Amino acid sequence: MTNAVPPEATPGGGDGEVYSLNMGPQHPSMHGVLRLLLDLKGEEVVKAKPVVGYSHRAHEKMAENRNTLQFLPNTSRIDYLSGMIYNLGYCQAIEKILGIEVSERAVYIRVIANELNRISSHLLWFGTFLLDLGGITPFLYSFDDREEILDILDQVTGSRLTYCYGRFGGVTMDVDEDFLARTTAFLARIRERLGMYDDLVAKNVILRERCINVGVISTEMAKSYGVTGPSLRASGVVYDVRRAEPYGGYEKFDFDVPVLHEGDTMARFHIRISEIEESCKIIEQAIKGIPEGAILPKKMPKRFKIPEGEYYFAVESARGHFGMYIVGDGTDVPAKLKLRTPSFSNLSAMPEALAGTMLADTIAIVGSIDVVMPEIDR
Amino acid sequence: MPETLSQLLDDSVLAMPIAAGLIMGALTINVLMLVWAERKVSAWIQRRMGPTEVGPFGLLQTLADMLKLISKQLITPSNVDKPLFHLAPLLAFAPVIAAVALMPFSKSLILVQNDFGLLFVFAFGGIAVIAIFMAGWGSNNKYALLGAIRSVAQSISYEIPLILSALSVVLVVNAMGFTLASGGSIVVANGLDLSHIVMAQDQHGLWFVLVQPIAAIIYFISALAETNRAPFDIPEAESELVAGFHTEYSGMRFSMFFFAEYTNMLIVSMLAVVLFFGGWDGPVLPGPLWFFLKSYMVIFVMMWVRWTFPRLRFDQLMTFCWKVMIPLSILNLLATAFVVAVL
Amino acid sequence: MGYFGKVLSGFGSLLTGMRITFSQFAKTFFGRKNVTLQYPKEQPKLAPAFRSAIKLIRFEETGTHDCVACKACERICPSYCIKLSGGKVEGIKKKRVAEFEMDFSLCSLCGLCIDACPTDTLEYSKVYEEAGYNRDWRVDLVAEFREYEAEFVEKQRVIEEKAATAKKAKAEAAKKAKEAKKAKEAEKAKEAEAEAADTAEKPDTAEKPPALEAKPAKADAPAKAEVPTAEVPTAEAPKS
Ligand code: SF4
Ligand code: SF4
Repeated sequence: MTNAVPPEATPGGGDGEVYSLNMGPQHPSMHGVLRLLLDLKGEEVVKAKPVVGYSHRAHEKMAENRNTLQFLPNTSRIDYLSGMIYNLGYCQAIEKILGIEVSERAVYIRVIANELNRISSHLLWFGTFLLDLGGITPFLYSFDDREEILDILDQVTGSRLTYCYGRFGGVTMDVDEDFLARTTAFLARIRERLGMYDDLVAKNVILRERCINVGVISTEMAKSYGVTGPSLRASGVVYDVRRAEPYGGYEKFDFDVPVLHEGDTMARFHIRISEIEESCKIIEQAIKGIPEGAILPKKMPKRFKIPEGEYYFAVESARGHFGMYIVGDGTDVPAKLKLRTPSFSNLSAMPEALAGTMLADTIAIVGSIDVVMPEIDR
Repeated sequence: MPETLSQLLDDSVLAMPIAAGLIMGALTINVLMLVWAERKVSAWIQRRMGPTEVGPFGLLQTLADMLKLISKQLITPSNVDKPLFHLAPLLAFAPVIAAVALMPFSKSLILVQNDFGLLFVFAFGGIAVIAIFMAGWGSNNKYALLGAIRSVAQSISYEIPLILSALSVVLVVNAMGFTLASGGSIVVANGLDLSHIVMAQDQHGLWFVLVQPIAAIIYFISALAETNRAPFDIPEAESELVAGFHTEYSGMRFSMFFFAEYTNMLIVSMLAVVLFFGGWDGPVLPGPLWFFLKSYMVIFVMMWVRWTFPRLRFDQLMTFCWKVMIPLSILNLLATAFVVAVL
Repeated sequence: MGYFGKVLSGFGSLLTGMRITFSQFAKTFFGRKNVTLQYPKEQPKLAPAFRSAIKLIRFEETGTHDCVACKACERICPSYCIKLSGGKVEGIKKKRVAEFEMDFSLCSLCGLCIDACPTDTLEYSKVYEEAGYNRDWRVDLVAEFREYEAEFVEKQRVIEEKAATAKKAKAEAAKKAKEAKKAKEAEKAKEAEAEAADTAEKPDTAEKPPALEAKPAKADAPAKAEVPTAEVPTAEAPKS
């Protein structure tokens, strides 16, 4: 995507009316370090070109230089907003390759942690999306809710954002009654707050005007760019890795995959809100059904050698299909670990979705697909 | 008291500097308080505490911030249009002071009595747009330019409903007339004289917000747009244009824009009080106090609105103005004119 | 919905929004309930699992850590932030760590070192108010134990000596018993021999020095650790 030399902002079309605006990488609403090269005609976007690579940290290369266990802390730093999902997803991938049994209790704990993380990610998206649209107060309300999740997860994982909670075969720490009680209380709280958000935000005429029919990604377009996650489901495709290729015990739970067909910013908004509700449902079932037992197998090998071959494992992160393509050569250091991160594909649909919109919509649309830049750059 | 003061001022050569100094001082304190209030109100709405450290309840926080801004380096980027760039903050700053001088704080406490006060206030308001455009154009920055263009379009559009809604009040005042307290005779009221507007409400014991509710709402919304307050803050839309027209300004020049913005808020809310909320009219407390209390209430609502809504898009803002506000205000004006003519 | 209907319903939705923000405003302004924590004045309540820089556990029974300088933690650390050295100490059987340096500025708080430690002598500390003027954040983990080390070695020597004597006595007793048994039955004697061999191989199982017994089970280690700020009242704000 990036050239060796980042493309400079060049004068646009040349007919004198089109000028180019270099938005980012330092810009209040570029979600970190996204850089958009916009060709503008007045306020209208003629052409948009995302430039990525500003927070490249070579995670994939690092994976080739350390053993499987040592890569664990990296996983949650790829996409720091759904760190838990990435961390546990990586564990699940290695477990599947090596055939490690995970105890039933650990499976349930993982599901709870995953879904809490998904809610917290969606809440953060909700807040920042509103911030992009100029609404500052909902941002702080959602952060207040999110804070509660971080506290709950902090209680068992010891970290607030970059979790390193998973281990091959289980999790590091058992949850206690207090954790489950707090989670249950949180579910009640978030359900009430979602009602409030609905009144304050979703029904608000300004927000509706800003979102409806803005940034439409059609089904074909979404499919051709490989858009996944809530953004895909808002474009009318029923695809959720948790359902399509169940992993980590998700087949045991009863939940819906919300789908809308409009494909506009408002649809993406509603999908994420209903996903929070679905996650609540899953957590509820998991809390009810959590069995007693150990959280880690008694005997674990010291080294996790990946047998020769190629493996692919995918999980549904808060942003979409997160895949890990692992090539093993019989040692415990992977020969290659390629990460397929959802934000990258989602962002690639942007040039087409942004063309012809207003400058203010650009911010809203990029905000609505929920990109996390470090995940794109890795 | 005020009479003696104005008498004193009338006779002195120093009248102008003293008056200007007084207004400047009062406005500076007012802006400091408003910024503090804005931060507190936003904090409370967002379940936070706001400034608490400097002074009691953090009251001196903005003073500290201002001192910091004053002591900052004034950066003039290369390639800016220097005269425009330097002049713009001053031009934004000056007219707002002039507009305050026209306000009738009480029956007698009026710094500048003018028969056409209303027109003057709007005229001074118009100058601010020029300042913003100069700032945006002179900055030689695309964000600033976009902000300036937006600002001009927005201000010019919203001045129409603003003035139309004020006009309906003028019509009502002209029709009602009132008794001058001293003479006891009915005089023809001049609807463009701010103190006459208040006196009309005072005498009839009827605030015009009850007579002209639609005009009041239209006025309020247009006033938000005029002062570039959220949800109409698109000239400085932070998430789109970084800081809009004042992106390139720093230090004292930036704080002058800031000063102008908050004083503008005060002016439009004072005007709202004059037009719709009976000015100094109120029981027990002295008139000027009522006047300020009411103005600050209006400002509170402006802040409340700001911290509730997301921002409109530029074209929607225009659509809203031309398709909703202007037709409604024209309808309202026509209806008022009709009723006034019939009565 | 006609033109006026649209304007009215839009206006209504705005009023709903304002009602909500005002109710939140009232909760903070009149109810005096903010959801934030006034940090330096109020201290956060640290979770039991809170992770900060690793440290060596001071076991109550021995009064010191139990690091045997096996370097398992150094090898597993993905951030290469542990540097330690140590080895045989005169007089006692156990190896002891001499230098243990951890660079907190590199640590990713992953906990792999804690998992890897065979003697379970590592845990997370609870320091969270850390600040400095440079990036040099090397922590000497054995610093607090150094003073006591000689005393501990002496004590341990005594304990081990005792254990050795006891073992000798036991071994002798076992020998005698064995001989007695031998006289009795040949098969049973074989069993006894195996047992004796076991004891000889793992002397610790018979006469564990207290240091090893003191090991807390891994799962409840963090629970036992003191949370320094637990008593400080935190924001009582019930998050609504
Ligand atoms: S917690 Fe992880 S990074 Fe930190 S010292 Fe231990 S192994 Fe190294
Ligand atoms: S793994 Fe434990 S015993 Fe081994 S060197 Fe590290 S701290 Fe010491």
